[in-house]
Amino acid sequence: MSVLTAGEVVARIKSNLGFPWRTTTYRDTFKFGDPDTVVKGIATTMFCSYDTIRRAAEQGCNMIIPHEDTYWNDPDKIDVVSGDPSYKLKTDFMREHDIVVFRMHDHMHAQRPDFIYVGCARALGLESRYETTPQSHHFVLPETTLEELAATFQKKLGDRALRVVGNPKTKVSRVQLGVGYATPSINNPDVDVVVSGEQQESDGFLDSPAYVLDAMTLGIPKGWIMLGHNISEEQGMLEMAQWIKSFTPEVPIQLVRSEEPFWVAQ
Amino acid sequence: MQFISRRKFVVLATTGVAAAPLTSMARTISGGITAQEIIDRIRKNIGVEWKPDTVDTFKAGYPTTVVTGIATTALASLNVLGAAVKAGANMIVTCEPIFYAKTDSPTPPVRRIPGASPSNEPPTAPPPPDPVFMAKAEFLKKHNLVVVRLSDHWRLRKPDPFAQGLAGALEWSTFTSPGDPAHLTIPETSLDALASHVKKLLKPRGGMRIVGDPNLRIRKVGFLPGSTPIQSALQTLPDVDTIIAGEVREWESVEYVRDTVALGGKKSLVLIGRIVSEDPGMQVCAQWLKTIVPEVTSTWVSAGDPYWRPML
Repeated sequence: MSVLTAGEVVARIKSNLGFPWRTTTYRDTFKFGDPDTVVKGIATTMFCSYDTIRRAAEQGCNMIIPHEDTYWNDPDKIDVVSGDPSYKLKTDFMREHDIVVFRMHDHMHAQRPDFIYVGCARALGLESRYETTPQSHHFVLPETTLEELAATFQKKLGDRALRVVGNPKTKVSRVQLGVGYATPSINNPDVDVVVSGEQQESDGFLDSPAYVLDAMTLGIPKGWIMLGHNISEEQGMLEMAQWIKSFTPEVPIQLVRSEEPFWVAQ
Repeated sequence: MQFISRRKFVVLATTGVAAAPLTSMARTISGGITAQEIIDRIRKNIGVEWKPDTVDTFKAGYPTTVVTGIATTALASLNVLGAAVKAGANMIVTCEPIFYAKTDSPTPPVRRIPGASPSNEPPTAPPPPDPVFMAKAEFLKKHNLVVVRLSDHWRLRKPDPFAQGLAGALEWSTFTSPGDPAHLTIPETSLDALASHVKKLLKPRGGMRIVGDPNLRIRKVGFLPGSTPIQSALQTLPDVDTIIAGEVREWESVEYVRDTVALGGKKSLVLIGRIVSEDPGMQVCAQWLKTIVPEVTSTWVSAGDPYWRPML
């Protein structure tokens, strides 16, 4: 009986991408476990949280393909976290459950289409007929208000901690979608609203919350909707699971949601 | 009152005349205090060695401007500038940039390509004129405002004025550790009740996001105001029940606390937003400026929470 190893799954991912693997990536590498590990089931997820790994293991998945880091820092540097008890507990659990983790981030965003955008647009109800040109992530929607648009997104996603900047009554229709920390510029004249995952509030490249505050004061229609990093990228890992399934028929594959980490004070 | 026009000052300043005589001239002429003299006093009294490479520089206006009043704020938005002008201030001390980016240029940075990761793409053509940048620059000019940033050095001051400000705003000043206002031991409460208390006093409209069990008992609190990396959370969390932070990266500290909680750690994280977390520290700044610049009034103008949440 032939067995499927984690290394073989990664080899198939590489050969099905449609472009050469970028060997310089520090993100898309094995984060835990041996490539020779026999795979019983695969779970894709957004954040490789302990709870996600635990639920994946319960469902018979021992190969985790997350979009984000495992050890709370983007390069997954062990020395940053190895002194913390949570690091030991998390890796102990993975060892006991024969878990192997391989991250898919850079290559996923380089794929066309980028499944992360596909998943996010699907979850938000941003249909392709509204997209200006394919994969522009720029949508012209029937005119609405910033408040209604934000509420619609919140309802669709079940997002608890969605945050908005701008005048709630501002009329908007042109939406630029971003995901994760890749947040498009709000000062683009073709854009009324930027929707994205996470962006630092200030002191960066273009501090959009501050820009939107001033635009609001000036009566210039601009809006800023932050969905949260997890919520904005999680759905695309469903598309990733379906894609891997297409060339990995031997084992079950599913999305295990890492879910929104926050609750909000009432 | 100014006897030399702004235009004349610009001409003088750009013809190679040394800054120091200009500064004293402005003082002599008006009998007031110039922005440069106030900066000199800040540098002398802040208790931190001034960095050669810093964002704490003039962002608008002239060092030679005679100051009528000072306004401090976490974020010099147009609303804040308007309130400062009403209060008679023409010098703004802001913690965060005035022109929306670290570079603080009065014209927009080169636009990011939609949907692309900024680090992977070459810059596009120079950006078109931007109405928001233009209106803000115009407002600053019209009201002859001087804007300086005070961030790098104010953060390094001991005891930490941002933590001091937060403790004061939360009515917890008596609960801070001696010499360290970022660590507190408060009367025991639940995470849920603590969140309500923070919400009532800091009034974050939308930016308050929490990780952890609402019923968790809290006595030890650590503050991480501003924007902090994973190293700060790793260092702070083991000794406290909750961290009250401004802004962290979600893939770093949020996931770290979430994992720690899921693995049985009795810990939590309360994110109040960067601006909300820095606002009280700039109130402390206004109080401090009063003591070193008694000639003019120093007023704190709250920037408020930029965010809100839709009500379903």
